[in-house]
Amino acid sequence: MGVIQGTATIDRLREEIQGVRYREATNTFCRLVTEEDRSLKDTIKAAIASAAPYVQVPSHLMRLPSGEMRGVNYDHTILGWRGAISLMGELGGSRGILPNIQAMWYVPQGLNVWEQVVCEFPGHYARDGEQCGRKFPGPDAEVNRFDGPAWNPPKIYFRDHAPIFGGSVDDRLGRMNWAIAEGDKAEAYGLFLGLAGEPEHRKRLKDAILFAGITDLQDTIINRGGYQNIGHKALRARALVDIADYLGWDDAHELMYTVVPDLGCSPRLYGLWTEIANICRMEIPDHAAIPKRSAKPVTERELDGLTEALLWGGPFDVNAAIMALFKRGAGVLDVGDAVVVCFQRYLIDVLEHPNAFLHPTHALDYMNVVQFWVRNFDNPHQVKAIFMGARFMNDTIRSNANFPRDPAMALEPRRNFRAWADAIPIDRILPEIKQYVLAQDAPRSCALVDSYLERTEERHDLLDTITYAACHWQNDPHVMRNGASSLEEFRHNRTSRKDDIVRGYVKHQSRYVKRAPTHDCYRVYADYFHPANG
Amino acid sequence: MQDAHSALDDIWRVRNAAATTLSLAEDQMRRAIRGASVAELTALIETFSPARSGGPDWTRTFEPLVERLWAWRDTETLAALAEVFRAKGMPWMAVAHALSPEHNPETAIRHPAWARMPAFAVA
Repeated sequence: MGVIQGTATIDRLREEIQGVRYREATNTFCRLVTEEDRSLKDTIKAAIASAAPYVQVPSHLMRLPSGEMRGVNYDHTILGWRGAISLMGELGGSRGILPNIQAMWYVPQGLNVWEQVVCEFPGHYARDGEQCGRKFPGPDAEVNRFDGPAWNPPKIYFRDHAPIFGGSVDDRLGRMNWAIAEGDKAEAYGLFLGLAGEPEHRKRLKDAILFAGITDLQDTIINRGGYQNIGHKALRARALVDIADYLGWDDAHELMYTVVPDLGCSPRLYGLWTEIANICRMEIPDHAAIPKRSAKPVTERELDGLTEALLWGGPFDVNAAIMALFKRGAGVLDVGDAVVVCFQRYLIDVLEHPNAFLHPTHALDYMNVVQFWVRNFDNPHQVKAIFMGARFMNDTIRSNANFPRDPAMALEPRRNFRAWADAIPIDRILPEIKQYVLAQDAPRSCALVDSYLERTEERHDLLDTITYAACHWQNDPHVMRNGASSLEEFRHNRTSRKDDIVRGYVKHQSRYVKRAPTHDCYRVYADYFHPANG
Repeated sequence: MQDAHSALDDIWRVRNAAATTLSLAEDQMRRAIRGASVAELTALIETFSPARSGGPDWTRTFEPLVERLWAWRDTETLAALAEVFRAKGMPWMAVAHALSPEHNPETAIRHPAWARMPAFAVA
C-alpha cells in the first residue's frame, strides 16, 4: 500500500468517487472506517449519496445515427451494495467487510453509463465492454484513460425531486405503479418519496415497488440486442428494499433517488406479464387463493419433469409444467423452490463457456427477488411471478443454446476428479476449495464440493469458503449479488435437492468470466482489515 | 395379458421401423455429405447462425453434424471449412474450433449433457 496523504473525509470520498478515482476512493473508504471511526453504515450511505445523481440515464435504449437502437446498461453500483450488505451477515468477522470493499471499488467505475457507452466518460463499460481505449487512445499509449480519472464531471440526467403528498394510500400506490408503467419518472419518484416518509405505509410500499420491478420483464432476449432488461427492474427494487432496511428508511433518500426513477425508464416491457396474466386467468382463475406452502410438495418425478422443461423445452413446455404443479395443489413457494433447484442442473451439467453464465444467472437473481417477494409479502399476483421467473430462466438457456457449443471451452467432467477429491481429508477440503475457486478450476472445485456434500452435513463453512473466495475478484457486482441470491435460496429451499444450489454456485463462481485478472481490491481490504487466514 | 403382450409386440415393431427409417436417413445423409462441395457444406453450417437458426433444437444438432463431418470427410475438407469460418471472425469462432483438428470428436472430450443427441446407433 502506498503512502496516503491527507485526512480521510467524506468530502474527499465524494470527490474521488465523482472523479472516477476508484483506487483512491477505496482507500479513503477503508480509512474512514478504520482510522476515522466512521461506522460502515454511514460510510456506505455517503458512497451511495455521492453516486446517486450520476447513475440515471435518459433511456436504456440509445438511438444511433443509422436509426438502429443499442442498449444502455443498467446501474450496477447499487446492486453491488445490496449483495455486499447481504453477504456481510453470511461471512464471519472482518471477512464480511470484503464484499463492501468490492462494492466501493466498483462505484466510481459505474457512473454516467450513457457517456461511458459512447466513450465520453471513463469507467467499467468504457474501458472493458466498449474498448474505448482502443478506439480513442490518449496521448500515452501505455495508459488507458478510460480507467479514470474523469476529465469531465459526470452528467445528471434526472434531478432530485420533492415528495408528492395527498390522496389515499391506495390512490397514491395506484398512481405510482401507473406512472412507472407509463414512464413518468418524476411522478413515480415523488409519490414514492411521499409514501416512504410515512412508516405505517412502508410495508405496502415495498410490496408495490417489488411488484413494479417484477412485472417489467422482456419476453425474450433471443436476438434482441438492447431491447430487454434481463431482470434489472426487479433487481433494483430488491436492492432498494434491502438497503433501505439496512440504512433505515429515514436515512435512505439518496438510495431512493438512485433506484426509483430508473424503474420508470424506457423500455418498459410487459409482454410476458400480459401473457402470464392471461394464461393464469384462463387456467387457474382462483390463483390468488393458492397457499404459499401446501401438504403436496413437488415430487422427485415432478422435479425431473420440470428440469426437462426448463433446460430443454420451449416456453410453452415451461408454462405447462408450472401450470400442472399449481393445478394439482402445490404451493407457490413449493413451485418456486422447485424452479430454483431444477435450474441448477443447467449450471452444474451444461454451462461451460465463461461468458455464457451472465444471462442465466441474472435469471436466477430475478427468481430470488420473486421468492423473496413471495416469502415476505402477500400479493394476489405472486403465482404469476413464479411463471415469470421460470420463463426467464428457460429463455436465457434457449438464448445460449442458439449458439453452437465451442469445443475450445469444454470442461473436463468433474467426475474425473472425484477420486482425487475423496482422498483429501475432510478437514483439509475447505482450503482446497478456496484454492481451486481462486484458480478458476471448475472441474476440481466442483469435485471437491461434491465430495464434501456427501461426507458431511456441514454447509455454513462451505458456503462461507466459496463466497469469500469469489469475493476476491474485482470490478464485478454480479459476484456479490449472485452470492447473496444463492445463499438466501439455499437457506429457504425445502426440496430434497437443495444441495444442488451449492453445486451450481461453486460452478458459477469458479468458471464465470472475470473482469480483472488481479486482486488489487482484495489487497487494499487485507491491508486495512487484516483478515485471519487470508 | 394377451393384450399387454400384443401391445409390447406393437411397440417393438414400431421401434424397429423407426430404427430402419433412421438408418436409411443416416445412409442418405452420409452419401450427401460425401458428395457435397466445400461451398455446399459451408451453406449447411451457416444455418447454425443465431440469426438464421430455426431455434435451439436446430442448433443443438450442430455437434452430431460435426461428428459426421469428421467421420465422413477427409481432414483437408475439414481444414478448408475451418478456414472459411475462421475468416468470418469472432462470431463464428466456436464453429471454426469445432472443425479444427484439435477438436476432432474422436479424440476430444464429449459433454454428455450438452450433446443432447447422442451418436446415432441402432445396433
